Amino acid sequence: MAIHERSLVDPERVLRKERLVIDGVDVSGDWNLIILPRVINDYDLEFLDEVLQQPEGKTITQCYQCSYCTASCPVHNYWDERYNPRHFIYLARLGLIDELQKRADVMWRCVSCHKCTHRCPKGVLVEEVLKAILRVMAKRGIIEEYPSKKFDKFFLESVYEYGRIEDGELLFGWVEKQGYQVVKDPILKKPIPFVGGVPDWLKQLAAKPLKSMNIGFLVLNAKHMLFHPRTKNWNRFKQVLRKVMEEEGVFTH
Amino acid sequence: MAKSVLVVGGGPAGLAAARTLGKLGIPTILVEKEQKLGGRPVIEDYHTLIPRKMTPQQVIGPFIEEVQNNPNIDVKLGVELEACEGEAPNFKVKLSNGEEHEVAAIVVATGFQHFDAKRKGELGYGIYPDVITNLELEQMFSREGKLYRPSNGQLPKRVAFVFCVGSRDRQLGVTNVHCCRYGCALSGLQGTEIREHYPEVDVFCYYMDVRTYGTWEYPFYWAPQEKHGVRYVRGRIAEITYNPQDGRLRVKHEDTIVQRPAEVPMDLVVLVLGMEPSEGTKKVAKILGLAQDPDSQFLVPAEDAGSNIISNKPGVFIAGACKGPIDIESSLSEGEAAGAEAATFIGAKVSA
Ligand SMILES: Cc1cc2nc3c(=O)[nH]c(=O)nc-3n(C[C@H](O)[C@H](O)[C@H](O)COP(=O)(O)OP(=O)(O)OC[C@H]3O[C@@H](n4cnc5c(N)ncnc54)[C@H](O)[C@@H]3O)c2cc1C
Ligand code: SF4
Ligand code: SF4
Ligand code: SF4
Repeated sequence: MAIHERSLVDPERVLRKERLVIDGVDVSGDWNLIILPRVINDYDLEFLDEVLQQPEGKTITQCYQCSYCTASCPVHNYWDERYNPRHFIYLARLGLIDELQKRADVMWRCVSCHKCTHRCPKGVLVEEVLKAILRVMAKRGIIEEYPSKKFDKFFLESVYEYGRIEDGELLFGWVEKQGYQVVKDPILKKPIPFVGGVPDWLKQLAAKPLKSMNIGFLVLNAKHMLFHPRTKNWNRFKQVLRKVMEEEGVFTH
Repeated sequence: MAKSVLVVGGGPAGLAAARTLGKLGIPTILVEKEQKLGGRPVIEDYHTLIPRKMTPQQVIGPFIEEVQNNPNIDVKLGVELEACEGEAPNFKVKLSNGEEHEVAAIVVATGFQHFDAKRKGELGYGIYPDVITNLELEQMFSREGKLYRPSNGQLPKRVAFVFCVGSRDRQLGVTNVHCCRYGCALSGLQGTEIREHYPEVDVFCYYMDVRTYGTWEYPFYWAPQEKHGVRYVRGRIAEITYNPQDGRLRVKHEDTIVQRPAEVPMDLVVLVLGMEPSEGTKKVAKILGLAQDPDSQFLVPAEDAGSNIISNKPGVFIAGACKGPIDIESSLSEGEAAGAEAATFIGAKVSA
């Protein structure tokens, strides 16, 4: 049997059985298709309260669903119909959490171009509001941390550890974090560049600047990768930084 | 004998017509079938009026006072128009108290009546005590000064407004296809009042589309959402049921933005009532031979008049909600216009 309005039916609600017997009656064949009902049973109204507590979330109540934002969004055109800023706002306002969750994997694709915010006739700071919604979702553990967020965290950890950034270590450390097999030196346990399961495109990408680098700089870089220098007195500054970051809720470790 | 004018109906429109006529020194008879002047807003104790957020007493009170104190105006309460003979400017009218008068012009301002919500049985009005009308909510505010669930007297946690009950609905036949015009705005105001007095109560407005005309847009659509946290849900409630387990109502609708059916618990549901022509309007239309809309039965102005207060009968003027849903300010100004038009009508005859 055909399902009409297929787009409205989530795959997990479609049950198809080879043989189906209900109350002793064999209904296999044409009637072997069951679509489970999908009814909204309640709103989660605290979600909106949480969005409103974010400084960027305040303008969310101004939206009247005209859709100027979505129509002007460059990402919307290149992504599936689930990427819809206007819709995210609507769902967040009513606290339709499961609907938001269904879109969790596309919501972070906003490129922060702010076209939406500039067009909105109601003065909703759309891009900011989306970020506030994402933050609340992340806080609730509804949304998986998205890749750029993960990188930000890795970057931050590196700065936090040494008080500075070492490009090579950052790059190959990140490659390792992505699950590639990297070979490490036996003493300091640092990843050795270009060795192991590093993907070819990355090897090419990293090799390009090497060709134009002067030898002294290259050696310095290699040395820094193995013996990572720290900013002077970093340990003392780290304590202060840690306190500030904890107070601001940036991280908690 | 000076020519006089009969005004039928003592609501906002009739009061304004009589007041204008009286001020112009024209002998005026104002008949009102109830024992009180002021029309629906006064007789039925509306609480706060859109758009100026004043009480009926503040808005209509001054008109009532002026009409009662003007010696040119003869106010007859508990009196209806029963019969009318002759043509303008020599109408012979018979009233329900047996009196007969000769008048040169007539202003009809017989108003509307509220839609009977029991006709939409699926919404549970008259079945579940916690389903009330917006008129009853007004009276709850104005007579009892508090918000509560009729079933148990407690404060509701959630209130839902259902827009367009008895309006824009072909299922009721062609009689109720028009927009009530005040409902969206009044709900915005009522929702705001609830949120102001009981910030812990959540308010939802279920709508097909929101029609807060002209300058009402900001105070009664945006402010409720932006300042007071009233939530708007697009999708009309199709059915209201009751769940004995938690003693709460369930409102069934499809959220048309999410494209999903929903069945959400509510503690109090407020039906936003449409307007229908009052019995008095239909009766007076017959007596005077006024044109009525074949569908809604509201009075319709003369086609070629270019003005909506001039009826198809020379010398008869129509104002206010007897012609269809309208707000109080417009009823007042239509009444004034009809009064002035009636005055020029008889003035022109006098000088001829
Ligand atoms: C629940 C509700 C809330 C509303 N709130 C607002 C608001 O906040 N602000 C706003 O602007 N508008 C509001 N309105 C609309 C407002 O009620 C109307 O605009 C207004 O009442 C119309 O005035 P009217 O004089 O034309 O009619 P009516 O108020 O209906 O007055 C007609 C009068 O004529 C009398 N009458 C009828 N037949 C006869 C007869 N045969 N002989 C003698 N007398 C007769 C009636 O008894 C009545 O007193 C609301 C309407 C509803 C339903
Ligand atoms: S443009 Fe603004 S008001 Fe319109 S849907 Fe987008 S956020 Fe809402
Ligand atoms: S800021 Fe994000 S949501 Fe807004 S238009 Fe750009 S990509 Fe779309
Ligand atoms: S004013 Fe609003 S509630 Fe009333 S009929 Fe029109 S759209 Fe419906």
